[in-house]
Amino acid sequence: MNNPVSPAGPSGMAPGTPPVLQLRGIGKFFPGVIANKDVDLDVWPGEIHALLGENGAGKSTLMNVVTGIYQPEEGEIILDGYGQTFTSPQEAIRAGIGMVHQHFKLVQAFTVAENIHLGWDEAPRLASPAVMEARTREISERFGFPVDPAARVCDLSAGEQQRVEILRVLARRARLLIMDEPTAVLTPEETGELFRALRAFRAQGNAVIIISHKLDEVMEISDRVSILRGGRKVGTFRTADCNPSMLAATMVGRDIVRRNMRARPEGAAPIAPQPIMQLRNVSVRDDRGVDTLRDVSLDLHGGEILGIAGVAGNGQRELTHVLTGLMARTSGEIVLDGSVVDRADPALFAHAGVGHIPEDRLRSALAPSLSITTNMALREYAHPPIGRHGLYDAGAAGVLAHDIAELAQVRIPDFGMPIRNLSGGNQQRLVARREIRIASRVLVAAYPARGLDIGAIATMLGYLTDLRDQGVAVVFISEDLEDLLNVSDRIGVMFHGRMMDVIDAENADIATIGMLMGGREPTDLQPGGPR
Amino acid sequence: MATRAFQRLPTAPAGRILALRLVAIAVSLCIIAGVLALSGHSPAMLAELILRSTLGSRFGLEDLMLFMCPLLLTGAAVTVCGTIGLWNIGAEGQFYAGAIAATGVALGLHGPVLVVLPLMTIAGILGGMAWITVPTLARAYAGVNEIITTLLLNFIASLLTYYLTTGPWRDRISGAQVSTQRLSVSMPEMWGIVHWGFPVAIMIVVGLALVLSRTRWGYEIRMGGANPEAARYAGIPVRLRIISVMLLSGGLAGLAGMFEVAGTVHRLQGGMANNFGYLGIVVAVLARGSCLNVIPAALLMALILDSGIVMQTQQLSASVILAITGLILFMIAIGDELAHYRPVATTPAKGKA
Repeated sequence: MNNPVSPAGPSGMAPGTPPVLQLRGIGKFFPGVIANKDVDLDVWPGEIHALLGENGAGKSTLMNVVTGIYQPEEGEIILDGYGQTFTSPQEAIRAGIGMVHQHFKLVQAFTVAENIHLGWDEAPRLASPAVMEARTREISERFGFPVDPAARVCDLSAGEQQRVEILRVLARRARLLIMDEPTAVLTPEETGELFRALRAFRAQGNAVIIISHKLDEVMEISDRVSILRGGRKVGTFRTADCNPSMLAATMVGRDIVRRNMRARPEGAAPIAPQPIMQLRNVSVRDDRGVDTLRDVSLDLHGGEILGIAGVAGNGQRELTHVLTGLMARTSGEIVLDGSVVDRADPALFAHAGVGHIPEDRLRSALAPSLSITTNMALREYAHPPIGRHGLYDAGAAGVLAHDIAELAQVRIPDFGMPIRNLSGGNQQRLVARREIRIASRVLVAAYPARGLDIGAIATMLGYLTDLRDQGVAVVFISEDLEDLLNVSDRIGVMFHGRMMDVIDAENADIATIGMLMGGREPTDLQPGGPR
Repeated sequence: MATRAFQRLPTAPAGRILALRLVAIAVSLCIIAGVLALSGHSPAMLAELILRSTLGSRFGLEDLMLFMCPLLLTGAAVTVCGTIGLWNIGAEGQFYAGAIAATGVALGLHGPVLVVLPLMTIAGILGGMAWITVPTLARAYAGVNEIITTLLLNFIASLLTYYLTTGPWRDRISGAQVSTQRLSVSMPEMWGIVHWGFPVAIMIVVGLALVLSRTRWGYEIRMGGANPEAARYAGIPVRLRIISVMLLSGGLAGLAGMFEVAGTVHRLQGGMANNFGYLGIVVAVLARGSCLNVIPAALLMALILDSGIVMQTQQLSASVILAITGLILFMIAIGDELAHYRPVATTPAKGKA
């Protein structure tokens, strides 16, 4: 495909100028996990460098290494041509590396000026509020980030809080600013302001690393892009040579082995002609007024697996929640078994046979402090044999928990112990089996293979095809194109809350999916259409 | 060579907690004995006196049960609220509200006991529920922190009781201070001065334990308290469950007030709640979220209260009892925490760190 460009920096720089930051062979390991391995990275003065990768690709770990939060097991960090080791974040800050985290680290009850001066060794001793506010005003004007120094942080919008975070870092003379998903909490206007300010910062010969998985923003703001996948760097590219679809494909793609798991065994249920559930022009608008789901129409047929591809954060979560009754739609219609559903009521959907393996299952589908038995009864406590005449039969719940654990092949010493005593992988298997049990019509599985090892992934995909063969409509949301292509009958591709296209998986080619994931209109992709 | 180290586990087995609590109480008693000896009292003599006048005599046992009765109900009120993850700090106020409502029925309605007493019971429960209504609705619909709202209403209920017992309802017959006249109906007595409220309170606590573990409603409450997000995911109407649990909690505390008026004091008096509402929080904390544990916890608390009265007869200040309560709770908290630790064998790290 595309070859990485040479690591040389932007042109127009005095010969011999070293990169602001050079990483050589960085490796960072956690028990059982390789978070980073053999990562090389050069960041030059006067560039905005985007770091792109899926969830768990190792972006945050790498930046935590650069800012001294973690110490790398392998490799070296070179600043302005000199090797450095940081034993604490303070040392990284002194060396001119500042990071703005996705979740702000501000004291809500303090004023902007107090937050800027907090823990800053250049803050004057015994400074009055007036002095601190004057200093803050000066800093704010110098760097071009307007803030009100006397305002309390808790009264500020997310965008304003982010400006305070950036100023905190810049006031400490950062020459390299690292931003983790900076636009996740911003409105489009605030994003525009942020980008203007970052360009001004770059113009002064400073450097910015911006972590993101929003492709069009990367295209807009960055000079070069480095892509991480599975903890390793795939390559560094000049943004001018890239386009969103190529970035998307590089980010999620790997050498894909296509195995057709679409073949039905003898006696399997055929794809039902009538859809079980339909979305008709469904849109969702969130609290900030952002459209997270735009005009999505889908038909779910029994006996069919519908894969949903897309870069994380393009509306998959909202789609999942709308399909399971956890989120109300803003407009459009949801039809379940031929009748329109008016209310978003998860109990109604579950009762109609809609199972749901949520993305953050350990947090939202289990009560960690309650027993395994209690957790396994969550979907069936209201129905016989567990629930009868308003009673809850703990014995029947125990039988159910045993059944689920046996199917999930999880060995449990004591069903009365809190479920948090089990490993995360085992908790996941139990949730998956519990949801499959109630999914008599539809199963919505969001990233069901995430965090599992290869054997467990194969088992999980087997569960999905088994359900399909029983005539259940399966919605399979994943970021792994190989899995999607292997089990899905059709694949829908999401971008910015829109369902760009739904294509036949059998003949789908990866380049087309990549282009749709990057926001290309399907009409542009028609043979003979404009390219 | 292997060294011993301690690891904190997320859960502690019940048997270990119980053992460490007994140790904690024993340690507290030793400290108390030491301090008493230093201040010139004979710990042995005091201990004997306390044992004889609480567990060791019929009058002592009767007193103990009278103390336990309101503690069982307020302890259950706080525990049941805690099951859904909320703190009812207002059992004291709901106790007064129940007592006031029951007294109102008794003062205003003259009839056979079989009619008046059930009406007083209903009034007491409704009084407690009414007192928690505003915090309940504020919590369920506006997310207002129930700890603050329930706490603040305590002072209003207490002052309302003082107003009624010195104003419109003051005792015009015997002229008792800050009190209504003696009520014409009372809870029938069961054993000595112990009224039927005591076994009823025990049955209520046991019943609640069954309801929480053996009904659909109880399951939903436990799930809603342990992880509200998972409860919503399963379609449990968490808001409605919060409302029902808080009203139940208020009703239990109100019933405690009614029992106290109709069974023990036989009149409404200013200050009659005697911190039973606040001690209910202590009982609930000791019970660690289990309704059945409320019974031994209430017994322990009643013993401490009763001992305090005995000690006051020995020229020890009333605040001594507060200090003792605090010490025992402090030691038990330490014991509970220690129950989480388990020794693990570790080998010293070799090579690079």
